[in-house]
Amino acid sequence: MAKSNLFVNGSEGDKAIVLGNEAIARGALEAGIGYASMYPGTPASEIIAVLDKNKKHVENLYTEFSLNEHISLHGAIGASWSGIRSLCAMKNVGLNVASEPAQFLAYTGVKAGLVVAIGSDPGAPSSSNEQDDRWYSLHTYMPVMEPSNIQEAKDFTKDAFDVSEEFSFGIVLMAPSRLCHNAGALRFGNIRDRSNIKGDFKKDPENYLNLFSFAVKNHAKYLKRNELLKKYLIESKFNKTVNGGSSKIGFISSGVIYAHLMEAFDILGIYEHKILKLGFSFPISDELIKRFFEGLEKIVIVEEAEGFLEFQIKKIAYETGFKGRIYGKEFFSRTGELTLDEVISGVSAFLEKPPPASFDFAVKKDRELSDKLPQRSGTFCIGCPHRATFYSILKAVGFSNTEEKERDVVIAGDIGCYTLGLLPPYNAMDFLTCMNAGLSIGQAISKFDKSKKVIALVGDSTFYHSGIPVLLNAVQNGADVLYIILDNSWTAMTGHQKTPSTQKDIDGKPSSNVLNLKDLVKSLGVSYVKSLDPNSVKRFSAQIKSALKEPGVKVLIAKRECILQEIRRNKSLLKNGAKITETGESLYEIQKSRCVKCNECFVELACPAIILKKDEDTGGDYYYIDPASCVKCGVCYEICPNSAIRKVEFDLKSELKLDGKSLEITV
Amino acid sequence: MKKFNIAIVGLGGQGIITMGTVMKNAALNSDLQDVSGSERRGGAQREGYVETFVKYIFYENAAEMNNPRKSMHSPMIESGGANALISLEPLETLRGIKYLNKDSIVIFNKTPYIPISVRMGKTEYPEISFIVSELQKITKHIYYYDIDAISLEKFNSLTQKNIIALGILFAKADIPIDRFAVESILAEGKGAENNLKAFALGLNL
Repeated sequence: MAKSNLFVNGSEGDKAIVLGNEAIARGALEAGIGYASMYPGTPASEIIAVLDKNKKHVENLYTEFSLNEHISLHGAIGASWSGIRSLCAMKNVGLNVASEPAQFLAYTGVKAGLVVAIGSDPGAPSSSNEQDDRWYSLHTYMPVMEPSNIQEAKDFTKDAFDVSEEFSFGIVLMAPSRLCHNAGALRFGNIRDRSNIKGDFKKDPENYLNLFSFAVKNHAKYLKRNELLKKYLIESKFNKTVNGGSSKIGFISSGVIYAHLMEAFDILGIYEHKILKLGFSFPISDELIKRFFEGLEKIVIVEEAEGFLEFQIKKIAYETGFKGRIYGKEFFSRTGELTLDEVISGVSAFLEKPPPASFDFAVKKDRELSDKLPQRSGTFCIGCPHRATFYSILKAVGFSNTEEKERDVVIAGDIGCYTLGLLPPYNAMDFLTCMNAGLSIGQAISKFDKSKKVIALVGDSTFYHSGIPVLLNAVQNGADVLYIILDNSWTAMTGHQKTPSTQKDIDGKPSSNVLNLKDLVKSLGVSYVKSLDPNSVKRFSAQIKSALKEPGVKVLIAKRECILQEIRRNKSLLKNGAKITETGESLYEIQKSRCVKCNECFVELACPAIILKKDEDTGGDYYYIDPASCVKCGVCYEICPNSAIRKVEFDLKSELKLDGKSLEITV
Repeated sequence: MKKFNIAIVGLGGQGIITMGTVMKNAALNSDLQDVSGSERRGGAQREGYVETFVKYIFYENAAEMNNPRKSMHSPMIESGGANALISLEPLETLRGIKYLNKDSIVIFNKTPYIPISVRMGKTEYPEISFIVSELQKITKHIYYYDIDAISLEKFNSLTQKNIIALGILFAKADIPIDRFAVESILAEGKGAENNLKAFALGLNL
């Protein structure tokens, strides 16, 4: 966001480059929301983050990073029933957790408009599955809107609140990562008057007491509302028909894929076919589709994932007696992200019109090269305490990356930054699915395979999300697991939202309600609980070893703040002129003469600040700690078996210290 | 309608997203102009592949801008569709090769960041000469520099390398937006002084 904070102050006539997520948030702001919440999740996190960041400049806006999606959506419902327009955001898998309130929302209905903005993640670059949440609406009956670009992301969100109130449904606004993280031009609208946003809960037992015969009545009511909405959607502004020429072929699409499709047509030079753009992908009006079918013999449905539109439209075709053929998933993949390239190829194959030569050439070139290129996977940031935790675990269980051997301890993975520990070189997870599956599955394995020790991992935010009942369950049912809570004090992966573990804000302000995690774990009935700094790898590793010998549920808290937050705070404190308690500067370096390239730091720890350099004199390679990237966590210094890494300290009296001992300065 | 597509690739933490944001903000001056382009963030961690697309669209007239067949733009660039490719890491230039055509301009940074698979001895990092020869099979407009070294030398920091690369882009490619627009954005942003210097440095490389 540029200049004078247009996100808050922009009005009609203003234009800016914004992120898809910011456009959704702005749409909600223009619609007059008073409540916004989420449990953070990529690619949706910025939707609430931008509102949270700006709330001090916005009258009557409450924001919350809830502990999980179930709570977050319930919170939005509570706000709605109090007459406050509310926005709840989540990532695709978040709806699994929030599916319970979502199931009830159609029954009870809303009072003030309620929008659930969902960031889906086709291709799963930031997720553990690529589920298409639109299918939920076949039973939750939540209407689904799909904006195609930045402008629609804002406009649809704003309008969704009106539709929500008119038909008493929570509206799902679906945005795949391609839209959430699209940055483009947005024309702003005006913000509704915010001065009169005030809660007033009015009892409505007929709708809100949803059980027995009330529930059955409510069921009938929402089916009727759904029919009314379908009727409204025959001629609404959200679904658009682009008329074609004499062609008997029509295309149907929605969301970002529609944008791909229009660009694909332009690249292929095809302009003669009729096109239906569905702004609402649920419900779909039979009459709308019937009208579109008129004069057409072939229909091509262009969409991502498993064919939600195709499923509905084929049913409508059957019921309305359409005689033509409907194509879809034969031409467009069910899995992975449906890219612009794939839409071009699919349309080109269907219409038998070849793409430009430069396109074919580039696709071929990429195919030829891509297998030959070394794969690159993300890894922990330099100085990340998780790297030290994984190193310690692997050392404790006698496993090494440089030797081929099987690790016999079962390591249960979970969701967060530490999930990256499943990648090489650590390979330190044996399964990974959803939030808190680690201990849940791990405790059962500990019962049925007594020959292996089980270590389950969890981050602080994930633990607070839904891990507490899992731990309690493990204790109550006598599981035999070592549970390591990697407590870095933040929901780091999604942009550092606070957790109950957060002690100090980024500006150094202490949190008012920090939880004592160790006490909480104790109170759940765990007698073996210790909190340690994972960067002291030798001590931490020894502790893991001895914990594994104990029976029952053992908990180790790997307590060290996310290095990025620590660095940011120090920078911001320095900028504000505060004194840092540090006594001096230090520097770690590898002594070429002592290093035998045993790979303990370069491959086992695999810190990216340790790099391979060419020796200009000998022509060989040597390991080198890049001072521009090193954050001086000191872990490599501790683990080097040959004492080849040394710590050089310059204290404030310009006294040079080497490995803790003072030296005479000879320079 | 004229289009100009820029693909920017590299690794998390190199400032790729910032480059895209600066380039997009520089294009807000005309009504008959649109801008689109998504980012592949894929987690904020170090060493992961990141790409961002900057797509400039110039309409001939208002009628074209309101034509539904012309006014909707994908956030992605198609294979062979980039007018320019900037890569802040040599190996990643080859991952971005699919966006190139015979007229594309390629600018890449010579400083390698070794992937874990190479550290573990499972794969080999390609030589710069191989990267250049693969690029030459497609386009002859190839420019590469050790931008990390330049940034370190001039600024004692790697933070400026993305802005140096933007300067190089303006020097080597015929970018259809005003470079003064970029400069005025840099002048208003964080670290303005160094960024303006870095941009000027790139312009003269």
